[in-house]
Amino acid sequence: MEINGMEQDLARMMELTSLRAQKIEAAPATLDLSDPVQELVQRLHPEKITLRLEAIKDETSDTRTYRFTAAEGSGLPFFRAGQYLSVKMEVEGKRVARPYSISSAPSDWPGFLELTVRRKAGGFVSEQIWRQWQAGSLVEASGPHGNFYFEPLRDSRQIVAIAGGSGVTPFRSMIREIAAGKLDLELLLLYGSRLADEIIFAKELEALAAKAPQKIRVEHVISEPAAGWDGLKGFIDAALIREYAGELSGKSFFVCGPPEMYRFLQEQFAQLGLPRRQIRWELAGAVQDITAEPGYPAGARGRIFQLHLRRRGAEYTVPAAAEESILTALERAGLAPDSQCRSGECGFCRSLLTAGEVYVRPESDGRRAADRRLGFIHPCASYPLSDLSLTTP
Amino acid sequence: MHQVKAANSSQEPSLLEYDVVVIGAGLGGLSAALKLAAEGAKVLLLEQHNLPGGFATSFVRGRFEFEVSLHELSDVGPPDNKGAVRRFLEDEVGVQVEFLPVPEAYHLILPEAGLNIKIPFGVEPFIETIAGAVPGSREPLARYMEVCREVSRALSFIGRSGGKPDPAVLLERYPAFVTTAGYTVAEVTAKFGLPEKALQMIYPYWSYMGVPVSRMSFTLFAVMLYSYISKGAYIPRFTSHGLAAAMDASIRELGGETCYNTRVSKILVEGGKVVAVETEGGEHIKARAVVANLSPHLVYGRLVHPREAVPERAARLLNARRVGTSALVVYLGLDATPEALNLDSYGYFIGPSMDTEQAYANFCRFEPPQMQAVICLNRANPECSPPGTTILSATSLVGPEAWREVRPEQYYDVKNQMAGAMVRQLEEYLNAPIRDHIEEIEVAAPQTFARYTGAYKGVIYGYEQDPWDSIVARSMATGSERLIKGLEFAGGFAFMGHGYAPSIISGRAAALAVLHHLGGSAGREA
Repeated sequence: MEINGMEQDLARMMELTSLRAQKIEAAPATLDLSDPVQELVQRLHPEKITLRLEAIKDETSDTRTYRFTAAEGSGLPFFRAGQYLSVKMEVEGKRVARPYSISSAPSDWPGFLELTVRRKAGGFVSEQIWRQWQAGSLVEASGPHGNFYFEPLRDSRQIVAIAGGSGVTPFRSMIREIAAGKLDLELLLLYGSRLADEIIFAKELEALAAKAPQKIRVEHVISEPAAGWDGLKGFIDAALIREYAGELSGKSFFVCGPPEMYRFLQEQFAQLGLPRRQIRWELAGAVQDITAEPGYPAGARGRIFQLHLRRRGAEYTVPAAAEESILTALERAGLAPDSQCRSGECGFCRSLLTAGEVYVRPESDGRRAADRRLGFIHPCASYPLSDLSLTTP
Repeated sequence: MHQVKAANSSQEPSLLEYDVVVIGAGLGGLSAALKLAAEGAKVLLLEQHNLPGGFATSFVRGRFEFEVSLHELSDVGPPDNKGAVRRFLEDEVGVQVEFLPVPEAYHLILPEAGLNIKIPFGVEPFIETIAGAVPGSREPLARYMEVCREVSRALSFIGRSGGKPDPAVLLERYPAFVTTAGYTVAEVTAKFGLPEKALQMIYPYWSYMGVPVSRMSFTLFAVMLYSYISKGAYIPRFTSHGLAAAMDASIRELGGETCYNTRVSKILVEGGKVVAVETEGGEHIKARAVVANLSPHLVYGRLVHPREAVPERAARLLNARRVGTSALVVYLGLDATPEALNLDSYGYFIGPSMDTEQAYANFCRFEPPQMQAVICLNRANPECSPPGTTILSATSLVGPEAWREVRPEQYYDVKNQMAGAMVRQLEEYLNAPIRDHIEEIEVAAPQTFARYTGAYKGVIYGYEQDPWDSIVARSMATGSERLIKGLEFAGGFAFMGHGYAPSIISGRAAALAVLHHLGGSAGREA
């Protein structure tokens, strides 16, 4: 096989070296390192976000909205309505991370960004936020994270949003975005609260719905109504959904609330015959009582196990209660790896279990197939059933 | 990694000492660390991300686990006729991975050219199929494949000779290698008189290289085409994350150390030699050699310290090269079977035509894709998703430069518009009702890849292989381009170029070069 005759072909091959040398000689001596892609990445997903707390607003007796601007030298990341930040804090000298949905809208960016936090009695982190965050406080975070946003190729532009309690926060972001004319959706919010007093953003949601009545509708459902509540009562169930959402086919359902609500709604959606593709579930977080889960094995409840930890070569032994996730046990010991979702999904806390047994709720098992086979767990969604040996990143 | 902890607790940093530090746990870095550990060197693998694999990874959404980047692995071969990749993994370093065969070479759909044809693996069936569709192509195509075979064999011979082949033997046994090595794909292929329609059926793999045929080294294309067609292709059963995680586990079994969430900030050089690395956490780790599984742009531009240790020639070399392209990938978890979606093949190449020039120009614009490489994972791995569902991914090459003017608040819209154009094209060309069945969707842009892997410009491909920067030219220049002693490269930016198999083989080659540098048995002292 000759291309242009043996002599010329050979010459072409031998010339590769001189041609290469010429190209190199002719090139500039100062390395061009410009990188438009990484520049955008740094703005979309900064390595570290430092937020400056500007203002605090009381929403209910136990819920506050914190408004942040960018701290000097940091930027506010752009995000999609429904995403969350992972807030990094020191609590009692121990580094912890908690996910909080961004409750402000992308259209509020880059002016400010808001997180709305409900204080849980005895909450390791929320109690501290309540006590310590003040105007001027600097707060560290990562993000935005999460996949709970309108995705135009998948989702319908007619959305039924179902919120439980503080699960309303991502929907406030979406609704503000719709009202600002930046997100072209029709959204019905079915918002379940225990008491009418616990409704977060009640007035604001009303005002936004009034501003764009064709686009935004809000219905409150109260499970333990006080005398005088004349709105919807009980739980958001199949009958209520059917009555208020109308025709269900062609609509997308977005759900955000506690895991207990998810289990109930799953049954309701099954009754309604909704396929999975029409339903988006926001991160559920941890269940209140893991030992009450249907698949939880008998015998571990109430026990405290020994957790042998290898972390960057050093070894530790810490107690791990059956009722708490392994990540929580590590946080109490001040040895937790960095985490984001705390729901088993993102895999950021992925660790290698070298001995012992854990319980993982099937609904929170976001592990890769190979990881399950190789013994990796996501500590945020794994509960000890025996003494354990674990290697964290 | 107790040594690193020791540094944290302010013991003598000199305790941190390795023969070799491997930077980056992509396939190149994993392979290098495997080979080094297997040969008894004291090796430490450092990775900035929390997972091994680099691009060889997966992610979970709902009930689907998506393969991030692998389309098909070459050079694996069946267990009874192992290719270089399988031999290395199974026989040399003892990595246990289950591979599944890919059923066909590709299904090519080019509506403007009136083409919709499934091309099989196997040299004879490949020629038969194309000859059956294009009269007059059998004889030239048979000659063409014979040349590709000879080029492939020559490259194996060069590899066996340690990169220093006897020119006389090369010329005598593999003349087609010598006569074509200086030319582009277009220059060589033009000599065969293949009808245009046959060329369109031969060229689809060009998109795995991302350089138009008018510039791509013929050697590179010939080896790639012949390898796939003659040996078939494979995928790991538990995605490429399964492959990477198995490699990571084997490194530790072999006595190597791996450390994740750890970014290297400096490669310290003294007297033209690597002496240590420093991490962002301030750990100082002595090393007699470094294997870098990342872009030389980042190594010479950011890591080598002091800056004066970077030879001017490094900057000129890198400026002369063209950094490869990136991609936009749409991952779809669909709630219907492949049959119901009319997806009867594993791998598709689809686009209006097979004009590689136009497609290349298109990398830099946000326009409907000229070429998509589409994978229906279930067709090679029916158990990859729950019964009644399908995993489909579509890749379109997009260059980094297109993103210069994109602002953060525009980014998601730009990405979604591209993804939308891709999905519409998929539906039209494959006659597949995709949008009625999307249960999960994720869209990865160059920024996504850059974010997780740290890749320079988010590129998925290494330096473009024009003839002057082809594997042949790089091999001929190896000696003069080893600019810092004890520094070797592995992965997509190394001399073999990008792709799963080349990255693995380049990692092994880097390990061998390092062992040579350390002086044969020196590695075993530790």
